[in-house]
Amino acid sequence: MAGKKGKAVAARPKARAAKPTHSKDGVDLTLIRWMMSLTPAERLQVLQNNARSILRLRGE
Amino acid sequence: MNRPRLDFLAILRTLAAHDVDFIVVGGVCGALHGATITTFDLDVVHSREPENLGRLLKALDDLEARYRTPGKASRKPKLSHLASEGHQLLKTIGGPLDLLGTVGEGHSYEKLLPETVEVNAGKGLKVRVLSLPALIRIKQETATEKDKLALLILRRTLKEKSRK
Repeated sequence: MAGKKGKAVAARPKARAAKPTHSKDGVDLTLIRWMMSLTPAERLQVLQNNARSILRLRGE
Repeated sequence: MNRPRLDFLAILRTLAAHDVDFIVVGGVCGALHGATITTFDLDVVHSREPENLGRLLKALDDLEARYRTPGKASRKPKLSHLASEGHQLLKTIGGPLDLLGTVGEGHSYEKLLPETVEVNAGKGLKVRVLSLPALIRIKQETATEKDKLALLILRRTLKEKSRK
Protein backbone atom coordinates (compact mmCIF):
# COMPACT_ATOMS: atom_id res chain seq x y z
CA MET A 1 0.00 0.00 0.00
CA ALA A 2 1.37 3.48 -0.81
CA GLY A 3 0.79 6.77 0.98
CA LYS A 4 -0.47 9.94 -0.75
CA LYS A 5 3.07 11.12 -1.46
CA GLY A 6 4.22 7.78 -2.60
CA LYS A 7 5.68 6.94 0.82
CA ALA A 8 5.47 3.32 1.65
CA VAL A 9 3.07 2.74 4.47
CA ALA A 10 3.55 -0.28 6.61
CA ALA A 11 0.87 -2.77 5.89
CA ARG A 12 -1.58 -2.94 8.75
CA PRO A 13 -1.91 -6.28 10.40
CA LYS A 14 -4.90 -7.99 8.99
CA ALA A 15 -7.82 -6.98 11.13
CA ARG A 16 -9.13 -9.84 13.18
CA ALA A 17 -12.52 -10.96 12.02
CA ALA A 18 -14.91 -9.09 14.27
CA LYS A 19 -16.86 -11.33 16.57
CA PRO A 20 -20.58 -10.99 16.05
CA THR A 21 -22.38 -9.10 18.80
CA HIS A 22 -25.60 -11.10 18.49
CA SER A 23 -26.50 -14.60 17.41
CA LYS A 24 -28.93 -15.17 14.56
CA ASP A 25 -31.64 -15.87 17.11
CA GLY A 26 -31.02 -12.53 18.84
CA VAL A 27 -28.97 -13.57 21.87
CA ASP A 28 -26.56 -10.82 22.99
CA LEU A 29 -23.20 -12.57 22.75
CA THR A 30 -21.30 -9.62 24.23
CA LEU A 31 -23.10 -10.17 27.54
CA ILE A 32 -22.33 -13.88 27.49
CA ARG A 33 -18.65 -13.13 26.80
CA TRP A 34 -18.64 -10.65 29.65
CA MET A 35 -20.25 -13.17 32.03
CA MET A 36 -17.71 -15.76 30.98
CA SER A 37 -14.87 -13.36 31.82
CA LEU A 38 -16.04 -13.49 35.45
CA THR A 39 -15.42 -16.22 37.98
CA PRO A 40 -18.37 -18.46 38.92
CA ALA A 41 -18.57 -16.66 42.28
CA GLU A 42 -18.78 -13.29 40.52
CA ARG A 43 -21.44 -14.67 38.15
CA LEU A 44 -23.52 -15.74 41.13
CA GLN A 45 -23.21 -12.23 42.55
CA VAL A 46 -24.34 -10.74 39.22
CA LEU A 47 -27.34 -13.06 39.17
CA GLN A 48 -28.30 -12.21 42.75
CA ASN A 49 -27.90 -8.49 42.19
CA ASN A 50 -30.00 -8.61 39.00
CA ALA A 51 -32.75 -10.60 40.66
CA ARG A 52 -32.77 -8.31 43.72
CA SER A 53 -32.96 -5.23 41.47
CA ILE A 54 -35.95 -6.65 39.61
CA LEU A 55 -37.70 -7.54 42.86
CA ARG A 56 -37.07 -4.00 44.17
CA LEU A 57 -38.50 -2.48 40.98
CA ARG A 58 -41.56 -4.69 41.34
CA GLY A 59 -41.92 -3.43 44.90
CA GLU A 60 -41.48 -6.91 46.35
CA MET B 1 -40.90 -15.03 58.51
CA ASN B 2 -40.09 -11.57 57.21
CA ARG B 3 -39.84 -11.04 53.47
CA PRO B 4 -36.76 -13.05 52.56
CA ARG B 5 -33.72 -11.39 51.06
CA LEU B 6 -32.64 -13.26 47.98
CA ASP B 7 -29.35 -14.90 48.92
CA PHE B 8 -28.54 -18.03 46.95
CA LEU B 9 -25.07 -18.17 48.44
CA ALA B 10 -26.51 -18.32 51.97
CA ILE B 11 -28.76 -21.24 51.00
CA LEU B 12 -25.86 -23.09 49.36
CA ARG B 13 -23.65 -22.41 52.36
CA THR B 14 -26.26 -23.81 54.75
CA LEU B 15 -26.73 -26.96 52.67
CA ALA B 16 -22.96 -27.43 52.52
CA ALA B 17 -22.59 -26.80 56.27
CA HIS B 18 -24.89 -29.75 56.87
CA ASP B 19 -22.98 -31.94 54.38
CA VAL B 20 -26.05 -32.29 52.18
CA ASP B 21 -25.40 -34.09 48.89
CA PHE B 22 -27.00 -32.04 46.14
CA ILE B 23 -26.51 -30.80 42.59
CA VAL B 24 -27.36 -27.28 41.47
CA VAL B 25 -29.47 -27.30 38.31
CA GLY B 26 -31.73 -24.73 36.61
CA GLY B 27 -31.08 -21.03 36.17
CA VAL B 28 -28.47 -20.69 38.91
CA CYS B 29 -26.53 -23.55 37.33
CA GLY B 30 -26.75 -21.81 33.95
CA ALA B 31 -25.56 -18.52 35.42
CA LEU B 32 -22.63 -20.22 37.16
CA HIS B 33 -21.61 -21.48 33.73
CA GLY B 34 -21.82 -17.92 32.33
CA ALA B 35 -25.31 -17.84 30.84
CA THR B 36 -27.10 -14.50 31.03
CA ILE B 37 -30.17 -15.88 32.74
CA THR B 38 -32.10 -14.30 35.57
CA THR B 39 -33.91 -16.50 38.01
CA PHE B 40 -35.58 -15.99 41.36
CA ASP B 41 -35.23 -19.48 42.76
CA LEU B 42 -32.51 -21.98 43.43
CA ASP B 43 -33.15 -25.44 41.96
CA VAL B 44 -31.28 -28.39 43.41
CA VAL B 45 -31.55 -32.14 42.96
CA HIS B 46 -30.82 -33.81 46.28
CA SER B 47 -29.72 -37.33 47.10
CA ARG B 48 -32.67 -39.26 48.50
CA GLU B 49 -30.47 -41.56 50.55
CA PRO B 50 -31.99 -41.73 54.08
CA GLU B 51 -28.91 -40.26 55.80
CA ASN B 52 -28.81 -37.36 53.38
CA LEU B 53 -32.50 -36.66 53.89
CA GLY B 54 -31.88 -36.32 57.64
CA ARG B 55 -29.09 -33.81 57.00
CA LEU B 56 -31.24 -31.97 54.48
CA LEU B 57 -34.09 -31.68 56.95
CA LYS B 58 -31.75 -30.09 59.50
CA ALA B 59 -30.47 -27.64 56.89
CA LEU B 60 -34.06 -26.76 55.98
CA ASP B 61 -34.78 -26.07 59.66
CA ASP B 62 -31.88 -23.60 59.75
CA LEU B 63 -33.22 -22.01 56.57
CA GLU B 64 -36.72 -21.81 58.10
CA ALA B 65 -38.03 -23.57 54.99
CA ARG B 66 -41.78 -23.64 54.40
CA TYR B 67 -43.86 -24.62 51.39
CA ARG B 68 -44.80 -21.77 49.11
CA THR B 69 -47.40 -23.75 47.14
CA PRO B 70 -51.11 -23.07 47.65
CA GLY B 71 -52.68 -25.66 49.91
CA LYS B 72 -49.40 -26.43 51.64
CA ALA B 73 -48.35 -22.82 52.28
CA SER B 74 -46.39 -22.29 55.49
CA ARG B 75 -46.12 -26.03 56.20
CA LYS B 76 -42.72 -27.46 56.97
CA PRO B 77 -41.38 -30.08 54.57
CA LYS B 78 -41.29 -33.59 56.00
CA LEU B 79 -38.89 -36.44 55.45
CA SER B 80 -41.49 -38.34 53.40
CA HIS B 81 -41.85 -35.34 51.05
CA LEU B 82 -38.11 -35.13 50.52
CA ALA B 83 -37.92 -38.87 49.82
CA SER B 84 -40.28 -38.56 46.86
CA GLU B 85 -39.35 -38.02 43.23
CA GLY B 86 -41.48 -34.88 43.21
CA HIS B 87 -40.62 -31.21 43.46
CA GLN B 88 -40.82 -29.42 46.80
CA LEU B 89 -41.29 -25.69 46.20
CA LEU B 90 -40.12 -23.92 49.33
CA LYS B 91 -39.49 -20.44 50.64
CA THR B 92 -36.53 -19.90 52.93
CA ILE B 93 -34.73 -17.04 54.66
CA GLY B 94 -32.45 -16.96 51.60
CA GLY B 95 -35.30 -16.92 49.09
CA PRO B 96 -37.18 -19.56 47.09
CA LEU B 97 -35.63 -23.04 47.03
CA ASP B 98 -36.91 -25.85 44.81
CA LEU B 99 -35.87 -29.30 45.96
CA LEU B 100 -36.21 -31.75 43.10
CA GLY B 101 -36.31 -35.48 43.77
CA THR B 102 -35.75 -36.00 40.07
CA VAL B 103 -35.45 -33.66 37.12
CA GLY B 104 -36.33 -33.92 33.43
CA GLU B 105 -37.40 -37.41 32.51
CA GLY B 106 -36.73 -38.88 35.92
CA HIS B 107 -33.04 -38.11 36.46
CA SER B 108 -32.05 -38.66 40.08
CA TYR B 109 -29.05 -37.31 41.99
CA GLU B 110 -27.13 -40.56 41.47
CA LYS B 111 -27.86 -40.61 37.76
CA LEU B 112 -26.77 -37.00 37.29
CA LEU B 113 -23.64 -37.18 39.42
CA PRO B 114 -21.27 -38.31 36.60
CA GLU B 115 -22.33 -35.25 34.60
CA THR B 116 -21.48 -32.67 37.22
CA VAL B 117 -18.58 -30.33 37.85
CA GLU B 118 -17.48 -28.61 41.03
CA VAL B 119 -17.34 -24.82 41.07
CA ASN B 120 -16.32 -22.23 43.62
CA ALA B 121 -19.53 -20.34 44.32
CA GLY B 122 -17.81 -17.76 46.51
CA LYS B 123 -15.76 -17.48 49.69
CA GLY B 124 -14.29 -20.91 49.08
CA LEU B 125 -17.64 -22.67 48.92
CA LYS B 126 -17.42 -25.56 46.48
CA VAL B 127 -20.71 -26.71 45.02
CA ARG B 128 -21.54 -29.42 42.54
CA VAL B 129 -23.41 -28.21 39.45
CA LEU B 130 -24.70 -29.97 36.38
CA SER B 131 -22.40 -29.63 33.37
CA LEU B 132 -23.64 -27.20 30.74
CA PRO B 133 -24.24 -29.88 28.05
CA ALA B 134 -26.21 -31.97 30.55
CA LEU B 135 -28.23 -28.95 31.69
CA ILE B 136 -29.18 -28.23 28.07
CA ARG B 137 -30.05 -31.84 27.32
CA ILE B 138 -32.24 -32.24 30.40
CA LYS B 139 -33.97 -28.90 29.89
CA GLN B 140 -34.81 -30.02 26.35
CA GLU B 141 -36.55 -33.11 27.67
CA THR B 142 -39.36 -31.17 29.31
CA ALA B 143 -39.00 -27.72 27.77
CA THR B 144 -41.89 -25.32 28.28
CA GLU B 145 -42.23 -22.09 26.28
CA LYS B 146 -40.33 -20.26 29.02
CA ASP B 147 -37.55 -22.84 28.88
CA LYS B 148 -37.14 -22.38 25.14
CA LEU B 149 -35.81 -18.86 25.66
CA ALA B 150 -33.41 -20.06 28.33
CA LEU B 151 -32.32 -22.87 26.00
CA LEU B 152 -31.34 -20.37 23.30
CA ILE B 153 -29.07 -18.59 25.77
CA LEU B 154 -27.66 -21.82 27.20
CA ARG B 155 -26.80 -23.16 23.74
CA ARG B 156 -25.07 -19.90 22.81
CA THR B 157 -23.17 -19.95 26.10
CA LEU B 158 -21.96 -23.47 25.35
CA LYS B 159 -20.89 -22.39 21.88
CA GLU B 160 -18.96 -19.40 23.24
CA LYS B 161 -17.39 -21.61 25.90
CA SER B 162 -16.20 -24.08 23.30
CA ARG B 163 -14.49 -21.25 21.38
CA LYS B 164 -12.32 -20.32 24.37
